[in-house]
Amino acid sequence: MPAKQLTPEIEAWIEQRWSRFPEGAAGKALTLGVLYQAQEAFGHVDTEVIDLVATRLGLTAAHVRGVATFYTMINPREVGRYHLQVCTNIGCMLEGAYKVFEHCKARLGVENKETTADGNVTLSEVECLAACGYGPVAQIAEKGKPEIPLYFEELDLETVDKILDGLEKGEVPTELGR
Amino acid sequence: MGVFDLKIISKHFDDPQARHLDHYETHGGYRMAKRATTMAPGDIHGEVKTSNLRGRGGAGFPTGVKWGFVPKDAETVYLVVNADESEPGTFKDRHILHWNPHLLIEGMIIASRSLRVHNAYIYIRGEMQREYRILQDALDQAYAKGYLGKRIFGSDVDLDVTICRGLGAYICGEETALLSSLEGGRGWPRLKPPFPAVKGLWGQPTIVNNVETIANLPWILEHGGQAFADVGVGRSGGLRLVSVCGHVERPGVYELPLTVTGNDLIDICGGMREGKAVKAVIPGGVSMPVLTADELDVPFEFDALQNDARIREVETAPGVKFDLGGNRTLRTMAGSGGVVVMDETTDITMAAWRILHFFADESCGQCTPCREGTGWLTQVAHRVAFGHGRAGDVELMASIADGIAGNTICALGDAAAWPTLAFITKFRQEFEDKVKNSLAHSPSAPSGTGAQAAGAS
Repeated sequence: MPAKQLTPEIEAWIEQRWSRFPEGAAGKALTLGVLYQAQEAFGHVDTEVIDLVATRLGLTAAHVRGVATFYTMINPREVGRYHLQVCTNIGCMLEGAYKVFEHCKARLGVENKETTADGNVTLSEVECLAACGYGPVAQIAEKGKPEIPLYFEELDLETVDKILDGLEKGEVPTELGR
Repeated sequence: MGVFDLKIISKHFDDPQARHLDHYETHGGYRMAKRATTMAPGDIHGEVKTSNLRGRGGAGFPTGVKWGFVPKDAETVYLVVNADESEPGTFKDRHILHWNPHLLIEGMIIASRSLRVHNAYIYIRGEMQREYRILQDALDQAYAKGYLGKRIFGSDVDLDVTICRGLGAYICGEETALLSSLEGGRGWPRLKPPFPAVKGLWGQPTIVNNVETIANLPWILEHGGQAFADVGVGRSGGLRLVSVCGHVERPGVYELPLTVTGNDLIDICGGMREGKAVKAVIPGGVSMPVLTADELDVPFEFDALQNDARIREVETAPGVKFDLGGNRTLRTMAGSGGVVVMDETTDITMAAWRILHFFADESCGQCTPCREGTGWLTQVAHRVAFGHGRAGDVELMASIADGIAGNTICALGDAAAWPTLAFITKFRQEFEDKVKNSLAHSPSAPSGTGAQAAGAS
């Protein structure tokens, strides 16, 4: 397999952003943004991606690894095509989020942070998504499609089943999102 | 209704057109930003001081005073907007970003003029993908119009605004952790002093303000600081966005006078669901001490929630008041305006466990009392809530919490300790009963939350 390279989109983004930061500080300041976009491009952030980002931004691999392992939105391992993230924090819990989460676990046959055998769905219990009045809330990330920005709110088991049906068929039922 | 009719920030919530610049301008938008570019920075600062605007992120610190900490001879000053809203129970800043992004941008132009800022940053939660795109669109529109960039509004003022996205870390809402993250590192809080206003981003004076705080500035400039102060009460100016979740009929974001009490708030939200009785209310995000049903006649305002004698003081043991430092006791605080309403069916031990689980998850790991203590607290709270409590567990929880409070670099340690002590102070019997039941080998099933199936053992 040829060595990974940052995509032209990431290069353009670095170019455009560089001047917004003081001299000497830009490389480091762009660490989070480049890591996230590299994850979108490669699916997850492993040692190879860390080295790639460090070299491009003129940073040590140790720094980039330190950042990558600090933030929960960076996945060190491959996740499924869909990453279903269910909030169970207090607002959602009071609305029955654990019932929703347990239902997802049972239907997908996975535990928290596991991926279905076919690699289609990774299920994660996540912390507050700042939509507490409309719980239970879930967010779905589709690999390579960062443009699904929807929250799925006021989930009940029926809606969750519709979402899981959709993911099984390879589509995010965006009409259920807000 | 009078003051209830006044809307400073939320007037255009739910109007999808409002996020477009043209529409924003038809409602008078950007006039104050333009005016600010012609005003002396000190005059804007004067209005903000007069307004009694207090920070809406959690601490409630007077904004004008904070701005005044920037050294007068500073060459480079940065403005950072804290859009990292992630305190459970809080979802009001997301509404501003979602429905009215130009209000934030206009506020930033005003603040930047007053603080002589030429580079401002918005640090937005990574999870808020949609709001990031809305905000970036709004910025692009403002740049295209010449409201941002070089010589804005035809003046000699330059201002760049850049969005930086977080990657999932609650701690980055703490202002010094946010700066560490914005600089491209782990979100590690820093010791204060030096305060960011003196030594912040890249070692330069930096003002970090919450989204809602900044969004109030256009109104303050238009109507004057005094008018804003008059709308408020005492030392707190303006209205306040309150986000309400839990067992009320109509959860949501409300912009309300600061005189509104907890009971008023529940009424405004259509009352309790299914006519149930209220059991507990967290007034300002889960890091704030809980209130019981008989403490809800107090206005949900910064000073009242801290000082009103109708709110019981938090204790470390029955009869022993928790020492907040400087001979002060702790009642509760208005925090982030995130209100969590729990009805009579709620298992308080379960609520406490879930909140502690969150703080243990989000501790950055720098300070031993927080890193270890939040984990221990969560373990003990878990076994109490799930029916495996041991004799002395309630005292153990209080003792761990007391050992964390005040002994960490940032407020996350307190954020875990305070609610723990408050839950135990006010619902001690419930914790004791849970333990007693487990000791009698009859594990009780948690009720009201469905969390018994969480299996997080």
